[in-house]
Amino acid sequence: MSDMPILSIILLAPLVAFLITVVLPEAQTQLIKIINAVAGLTTLVLALVVWASYDKDLGGYQMIEDVPWVPDFGIHYTVAVDGISVVLTMLTAIVFLTGVLSMWTLEKRVKEYFAFMGLLVFGVFGVFISLDIFVFFFFYEVAVLPMYPLIAIWGSTRKEYSAMKLTIFLMVGSALLFPGLIALFVESGGHTWNLVALSQAGTFSESTQIFIYPFLYIGFGILAGMWPFHSWSPTGHVAAPTAVSMLHAGVLMKLGAFGILRIAIGVLPLGAAYWAPTFAVLATIGIVYGAFVAMRQTDFKYVIGFSSVSHMGIVLLGLNTLGVDGVNGAVFQMFAHGIMTALFFSAVGFIYDQTHDRDIRHFGGLVGQIPVATSFFILAALCGMGVPGFASFWAELLVFIEAIRVFPVLGMVAIVGLVFTAAYVLRVLGLAIFGPKNSDWDELVEPTPFLSIPRIMLIAVLLFFGFVPSLMVDMISSATHIFSAAGASL
Amino acid sequence: MSHSTLGLICLLAPLTAFFTALVGFRNNHRAAMATVLLSGLASALCALLLLAQHSPQPELVTRSWIHAGGVDIYFGLLLDGKTLIMGAVVAVITLCIQTYSLNYMATDPGRGRFFAFLALFEWAMLCFVYSPSLMQTFVFWELVGLASFFLIGFWYSKPSAVAAAKKAFIMTRIGDVGLFIGLILLFQSTHTLDILRLNATHFETTRIELITLLLFVGIVGKSAQFPLHTWLPDAMEGPTPVSALLHSATMVAAGVFLFARFHNLFMQAELTLTIVLCIATFTAVLSSTMAMVAKDMKRVLAYSSISQLGFMLMGLGAGSLFAGYFHLVTHAVFKALLFLCAGAYIHHYETNDIIAIGRAGGRKLRIVTAGLVIGGAALAGLPPLAGFFSKELIIGSLGHGHPRIFVIGALLASFMTAYYTFRMIFLVTRPNADSEASPDQEAPDHEADDHHAEGSLLPTHAPIVLLTLGAIGLGFLGDSIARLLGQSAHHPALAEMAPAIGVACFGVLLAWLDFGRSAAAQNGFVSRMPAVRRLFEQGWYLDALYKKLFVGLAQAIAGLLFGLENRGFDGGADGIASGTRAAGRTAAKAQTGRLQLYIGTSILLFAAAALYIGLGASR
Repeated sequence: MSDMPILSIILLAPLVAFLITVVLPEAQTQLIKIINAVAGLTTLVLALVVWASYDKDLGGYQMIEDVPWVPDFGIHYTVAVDGISVVLTMLTAIVFLTGVLSMWTLEKRVKEYFAFMGLLVFGVFGVFISLDIFVFFFFYEVAVLPMYPLIAIWGSTRKEYSAMKLTIFLMVGSALLFPGLIALFVESGGHTWNLVALSQAGTFSESTQIFIYPFLYIGFGILAGMWPFHSWSPTGHVAAPTAVSMLHAGVLMKLGAFGILRIAIGVLPLGAAYWAPTFAVLATIGIVYGAFVAMRQTDFKYVIGFSSVSHMGIVLLGLNTLGVDGVNGAVFQMFAHGIMTALFFSAVGFIYDQTHDRDIRHFGGLVGQIPVATSFFILAALCGMGVPGFASFWAELLVFIEAIRVFPVLGMVAIVGLVFTAAYVLRVLGLAIFGPKNSDWDELVEPTPFLSIPRIMLIAVLLFFGFVPSLMVDMISSATHIFSAAGASL
Repeated sequence: MSHSTLGLICLLAPLTAFFTALVGFRNNHRAAMATVLLSGLASALCALLLLAQHSPQPELVTRSWIHAGGVDIYFGLLLDGKTLIMGAVVAVITLCIQTYSLNYMATDPGRGRFFAFLALFEWAMLCFVYSPSLMQTFVFWELVGLASFFLIGFWYSKPSAVAAAKKAFIMTRIGDVGLFIGLILLFQSTHTLDILRLNATHFETTRIELITLLLFVGIVGKSAQFPLHTWLPDAMEGPTPVSALLHSATMVAAGVFLFARFHNLFMQAELTLTIVLCIATFTAVLSSTMAMVAKDMKRVLAYSSISQLGFMLMGLGAGSLFAGYFHLVTHAVFKALLFLCAGAYIHHYETNDIIAIGRAGGRKLRIVTAGLVIGGAALAGLPPLAGFFSKELIIGSLGHGHPRIFVIGALLASFMTAYYTFRMIFLVTRPNADSEASPDQEAPDHEADDHHAEGSLLPTHAPIVLLTLGAIGLGFLGDSIARLLGQSAHHPALAEMAPAIGVACFGVLLAWLDFGRSAAAQNGFVSRMPAVRRLFEQGWYLDALYKKLFVGLAQAIAGLLFGLENRGFDGGADGIASGTRAAGRTAAKAQTGRLQLYIGTSILLFAAAALYIGLGASR
């Protein structure tokens, strides 16, 4: 097993699916779906293998594959995983497979849709396992690129506007990132793009770090839905079709947070320590702000979109504590939020496919009409409120423990934000799911057992890590011991 | 069987039943109800066996839950006097109420789901009670709240039930925020959340005062104390068995239990104790006033629960663990009894209004009325019923070294308790068609008897009889409970008891004059003062105030930020977007679509990068 290039296989599976999909004739929709599902299943099985074979006690980067790519510029194809990558690879695989299964009933331009999706997932896997910053950025762009057509063609509700807005925001992010990354390469002497080498202490002087850090943090932060550069994300979610919203909020936003953790903080710890209080304030504002704005939304997807801003604020707050519990919690939250939003969008998508309506005021008492379909939504909502028994509870707990230690005031504000989270979540439940039923929707049908599978998978994952959080935290903390247990004093 | 096996069965049976009933027997009500009932029986037996086999030393059964960085959290069971008694109370009352619900919910289309959520509640509550660490306590404290949310909102198509469920969840969550921060601070000070070890720790005064105050905020939310008490009366929207189980006997007592659990910590914080006494006394008096004018039977009992929870906290805050804890136990029994009686009336006469029930012939339900009178007398603190002993102890403990005002408050609340309880009893048992009392809702006019002829009445009556026996006999078990808690039972002298007995008798007498005697106008002394009556009926206008102040404020902020989002961020972004689009159109006429624009820009950027790298490398 050990000599098999397992990471490269995970990476190539969606690419192969992409290539086959491109070659296949347009009419073979069923075959295209099956091929993508097989690719998704392959990545999931392999991600499980990676999880099982990763040696947590040893820690560090494992299963390294290194091939020189452009030796003159020090660019290598280097892939490897540490505890964080293992977790996020698993997340991507789960969301990929469940995303494909959720779109099983798609009929419009099936071929292009799955082609773009395969490409997107290919890029995401690449980011999570790359150790070479140049290759990392390459995959990052590959992942972001397909979003435009995916939204503009298959979306709804001002789709072209949203696609454009998203693209522009992300390009601004990339425009900040690119000089930042180049500066890293040049400042380090121009020999290597290797993350491990660049992360060596003493590579960059403190003043350099402080100068470069905000470029990287904001550049990645835009993709992570960082306040005040978040407004592309709710609009994008709303416009995107179900599986794209799932991938987008579930996985793509994590690329931003992962970039911050792996590159910005990993390579520039002194810069991170300098900027942490500032960015922690922005993160906390995002938590509360997202919750308040979500309270006034009338579109299911806008509510979820702003809840993502709020939940990603928790991730960013955790990262900015620079303490081991905070970072553990942030990564756990990336995973939990990824699965949770995927479930959210999947559940809403199912309702929207039948009703072509997402205005929560137009519904009522849905739980009486389609109890199974709405129970998926209810479970996602409970997870969003951080109810114990779901994965996100532990993630938030760890972040808050560290936040109270490092930034007591911000930590308390963030915890008070939980009340408003409950308020907006219960508002949606009260208006659409419970209450007097609206007989316009008596005709709605329940998901077939096959369409329930992806949703049940997501719920099972959330509950599993809600009950056995130690499995997740053990994995993550094999990579986060570099952070001090006492918080922001790296 | 070993204690850990018994404990695990006790905890896992309801969880298994929950999943089985909710998912497995989704379409089979009978099987779902049977499963839950069996699990309830198993848990009750295990809890009683554990209580019977208690050992003098606390026993600990734990497993690691999370271990990372500085955090080490485990899950398990702690078996000591406090948990064993409470566990038995919870499991036995749950079983009673599940049995009772067999009849009560017999025709409800969602009865399988109802039983499933009862099982969820039992699981969460037992895990909360037996918890060995504050983390587990908090987790299940939240889950108990979740079960409460689903049970209050059980009739989900009723907007008032949904609103009540939401209100309960959000208001208790305000308290939970305090508890959560307190937990984190406690963890930072001691690096442990182990309950036994925390209780053995000594803290610096200001620190422990802050921490215990935060814990108390959580207790105020859960145990519905002023100013977070307003959710509990609304929670009566849930089915009556839920009100009996969650919102009087067990769940709302979770806050009091938490206080008892951390009694040693609270004892170190002088300031907190004073605040606890103030709030508890004030709540006890405040909610009693509301109970004196309520016409809805469940609301009378709900206000009474708030007030009695205040009594428990008074006892604990005055330093007497035994007094507070004993009242928790006796109250659980007699208040569950009262709610079950109320449920029987409501079910039979299809109205909540005590006057309407009385007029419809409430006293004809003999067993139920006997339960109501005995439970009511216990609540009023008449000797020799259960409530008498525990309430005496609380008032007695307030007498030692505390300002007089607290004793006066407690006596005032006791008087009102006796008054409103017997007002209810007399209105039900001695209806007077010529009186001035007017029901808010009339009982529907039908032959009630044949309407409810279905099924045997045994499931309704058996729990009522059992709990009635408890309400009579439990008071005499004080010594055993004290021994289990490791406290010495203090027997107040007759002279000390005289004032409390006196005010209780006075309350009953006044209720007799106002409502009981045949010439009574059935219009209480409060109702003769319209302004006061309105004040009490409106709950001192606190609900309206909160709605205007806090809900309004939150919505105003949300509206403000919503506007900012749409005009500020979105608008700004749109400006940039249209500018860019215009620039794109003019500068890149050769481009045919936006995708190409994007790819083109990316290539340009890469080219620029390559150039930069090349320059950098050659330097």
